[in-house]
Amino acid sequence: MNRSLMLAGLAVCIAGGAIVNRMNYPLWQENFSPRKDSDLRGLSGDQLLIALAGFREMVAGILWVRADTFFDEGNYDAILPIIRLVTMLDPKQIDVYATGMWHIAYNFTDEQSRSDRRYIPSALALGAEGSKNNDYTYELFFETGWLWYHKIDDDYSNAAKWWEEANKRKDMQTARKNILAMAYLRDGNMSGAIEHYEELWNTARDNFAKNPNDFQARQNVDTLEVNLDNLLVRLAQRGNFAIENGTYDQYDYDTRPPYDVGFTAQVTVEDSKILRVEGTWNVQPVGTRVRIVLRDKDKPNLRPAALKWDQGTSVDLEPEKDMTFMQDGLFVKNQAFFRRIDMARDPTMYPFNSDNYVIEFYYNPRSAPPHIQDRFGFNGEGMTDKNYLNTEVRDGQRVIYAQLEISRDELLRQGEWATRTPVKRTIGFIPTGARNTEEVINVPGLRNDVQEGQ
Amino acid sequence: MGAILSIAKTTIGEAIRRRVLLVILLVGVLFLVIAPGLSVLSLRQNYTVLTSFTLGVIQLTSAVIAIVLTVYLLPNEVERRTIYTILSKPVYRWHFLLGKYLGAVGALGMMMLLMSTVLVLVFRIMQQQASMDDVLQLATAPIFFFVQMSLLAAVAMFFSTFVSPIVNFFLSGGVYLVGTLFSPVFQDLSNNQTLPAAVKGAATVIHSIVPNFAQYNIQGGIINQGPELRSIELYYVQIVVYALFYIAAFLIAGMMIFDRKEV
Amino acid sequence: MNLAIETKDLTKTYKTSSGPQSVVKNLDLQVERGEIFGFLGPNGAGKTTTIKILLGIIDSTSGEASVLGNPAGDIESHKKLSYLPEKPYYYEHMTGVEIMQFYASLFGIKDRDLCERLLNRVNLGNDMNRPISQYSKGMQQRIGLAQSLLNDPELLFLDEPTGGLDPIAHIEIRDLILKFRDEGRTVFISSHELSDVERICDRVAIINKGELVHQGRLDQLLSGGRIEITADNLTEEIANKFRGDDFTVSFKNGRLIADIPDSAHPGEMLDAIRAANGDIVSVIPRRKRLEDLFLESVAGDNVLKGRKMSKMTDDHNAAEAVEVTTEEGAN
Repeated sequence: MNRSLMLAGLAVCIAGGAIVNRMNYPLWQENFSPRKDSDLRGLSGDQLLIALAGFREMVAGILWVRADTFFDEGNYDAILPIIRLVTMLDPKQIDVYATGMWHIAYNFTDEQSRSDRRYIPSALALGAEGSKNNDYTYELFFETGWLWYHKIDDDYSNAAKWWEEANKRKDMQTARKNILAMAYLRDGNMSGAIEHYEELWNTARDNFAKNPNDFQARQNVDTLEVNLDNLLVRLAQRGNFAIENGTYDQYDYDTRPPYDVGFTAQVTVEDSKILRVEGTWNVQPVGTRVRIVLRDKDKPNLRPAALKWDQGTSVDLEPEKDMTFMQDGLFVKNQAFFRRIDMARDPTMYPFNSDNYVIEFYYNPRSAPPHIQDRFGFNGEGMTDKNYLNTEVRDGQRVIYAQLEISRDELLRQGEWATRTPVKRTIGFIPTGARNTEEVINVPGLRNDVQEGQ
Repeated sequence: MGAILSIAKTTIGEAIRRRVLLVILLVGVLFLVIAPGLSVLSLRQNYTVLTSFTLGVIQLTSAVIAIVLTVYLLPNEVERRTIYTILSKPVYRWHFLLGKYLGAVGALGMMMLLMSTVLVLVFRIMQQQASMDDVLQLATAPIFFFVQMSLLAAVAMFFSTFVSPIVNFFLSGGVYLVGTLFSPVFQDLSNNQTLPAAVKGAATVIHSIVPNFAQYNIQGGIINQGPELRSIELYYVQIVVYALFYIAAFLIAGMMIFDRKEV
Repeated sequence: MNLAIETKDLTKTYKTSSGPQSVVKNLDLQVERGEIFGFLGPNGAGKTTTIKILLGIIDSTSGEASVLGNPAGDIESHKKLSYLPEKPYYYEHMTGVEIMQFYASLFGIKDRDLCERLLNRVNLGNDMNRPISQYSKGMQQRIGLAQSLLNDPELLFLDEPTGGLDPIAHIEIRDLILKFRDEGRTVFISSHELSDVERICDRVAIINKGELVHQGRLDQLLSGGRIEITADNLTEEIANKFRGDDFTVSFKNGRLIADIPDSAHPGEMLDAIRAANGDIVSVIPRRKRLEDLFLESVAGDNVLKGRKMSKMTDDHNAAEAVEVTTEEGAN
């Protein structure tokens, strides 16, 4: 054979192959790359090997099977590396992402069932990575949104953002689309909520018109109608439209005048790492939970009564072990709250490595039940406190926020506090027995059941 | 052409009788058959585990067969002197090489067809909930594994024109591993505008020489049934065309070496 | 142009760790069409290498080689020649007839009858449907010959065609080769089995260490033998006529025993004896044998001596050659 001809053929074949390969790369990236963004340099060598190896789906499957037994045994720590490994091996396994997020966010608790919120940034990052790797489906967008909405319960703009993405996906379930309106509401975006409901309502009506015998379609229209109706009435009564129109001051809306919740609190360090928290909350109906946070005074990634939840997309399943972050809810009953918080049994969750700590009390009506929101409004316009109303810790919102400082020695009852009992009080703390029982909240509601709690 | 096909046919006949290959094949089939038993472990991820495991078994078994089969084809002919009776006939060396290669691919295809048939049967019998469509979709993976293995066989064929079988075994296996694991990395590097020209150039060269085996691992889309794959037909056509180009390249290079080789 | 094979200065050199080593050195061969040509030499003399060059399986380092008028390795020539390598292996999973069909297909022949005819010709007609794995060595050699006839070749290269075969198989193969010549084919036999070659070859070439030592017609190469004439009832006068260079003559009591070179016109002498009314008791030609020539050619070479002797004697025929040497030496 003619060797120069063969050489030419060889060159043509290699060039042709290289060109086809180049043409094909974007499709490979989109359809089969283990990393959607193809930024493989972000992975370490071993991670890269694992991520690209053949059989990775198989190994992932087998590992996930193994994780099952750890779930059964309650060996949650062992599951974390498996979740990371499985999602690296097979980034298309949305179940693993979803379960993993949920597990990380909800399953790590102390002996009194308080979540270890130091893990939440990891759960969010996992959700972000999973949705990036599986952006064809709504599922991980929805799950991540749910984490913001339900678990973090403090930053609804993020929940709305994720659910907006979920709604863009073709496979998003119709019944789940409503929840975006709830996120808009809690985010204070009334018009967004109304528009979203209207849009869904119109779609549902179209759908019903096309399928007049479809019971489900009919039910859907009804549900949306009721939701929209309720919302409009509520917003009108709470004066939201009036606020927009500038006529809020002229009429007697449910949220006017702001009601003083009469917040006071006292924290007693009963024993090392054991707090007794008591206080007043001058609201008669049940449904109030005042958030209490005990955290290091100076650490990065903190914000008032919360962490900076969204710490990027790089998934690091090791929480900040050095940090102490306790969050609990103080349930108000008979205008008072009382809770004993025991942090002594979970040294890994509450390491108490800093010298100084703050105890924070925080209340935001956005996550309150509707009957309370009817009085306080979404942004707290119907709520006040003579000492602790705060308009700074949350942008554009009126929240109740109080901060008490406490030292490590006080918390651990050591040094001079070994024999003395540390007691921290808010301004004007009223001992539970000495409250003015006449200051009863008047809650005008739409329905009778609103009053049932009293 | 007749000579090429005859050599191919004879090669198939011999390959499908080679005990070592049959043992490897048997092990693969065995794993396929017991696979449903293994996935009893997992209730939640049953389908995922079963599909990924069985496809993995087919891929691994095929890769081992492709290499073991091909590395011995030329050396055996020389050692047993059969090559002399053939090359003294009006047969060009490239006829011989091509015939041997086609025979290897043919034998490989038959063995992979057997495994795929077992795969389909396993799914029809063990996974009643899997629809025929699912099963057919599942069976597309071995088709592209076959293309991948044909490319691997061409690599092994190329090496067998100048290295011994044992060296070839590791060399071809190494190229397969690198081509599977690192092709995306090299490609990524060669596309990266922020890197120095030298690094980019080196990545491009490596990427052009080492075949991109990674793109045939399409099982991800089948195992996790969710994603809607974009332009998947075009993708399939492109990876087949790519394989044809690279198979031709490796065979031509092999022919050029084999043509000058003293056997 | 009538040459089936011609080489000029054919040289093949390999690079080894101890420097370049020539396996074939300046070889000039001429093989005429229609003859059986013996290509002889001890193991490692370069026989197989030469054949491979002639077939184009390997390239020469220098020199020229033409086969059937074309340069060595030319595919056109390959259509008209065939090659039976030493101890070949055939795909064992195939039956005799399948092997034949396989090789036939390499020529583009699809004639099953032809395959069967050729198998019959080499007495494998009854075994053609048995797999090769069940064939004896002799049968494998015969099927080798059969496949080498598929293209009705003008030129056959047979590399040690009788190697390792039993005596009956030897004879069968030898007869087949002779038939090939009768059919007008050129047969190029490489061998160290001298007795076989001596019986069937027209011409031989002897190479040693890659170099051509002798080449020519066998009768010419083997000329120089002696004839012992014994006759009675002769007179001294007649006996005295038997004088010449290199003659050994004894005369006693009317009996003449003359040992003369075969070049000394023994016919004339016999005529003279008859004319003198003498009785010819015996005329014993003591021809030079190929073994002699072969050993002369490699004499002084350690190939047949010392360490390598044992290697040669592994082979039945080599052992025979060594025995002859000893005998001749004793005379």
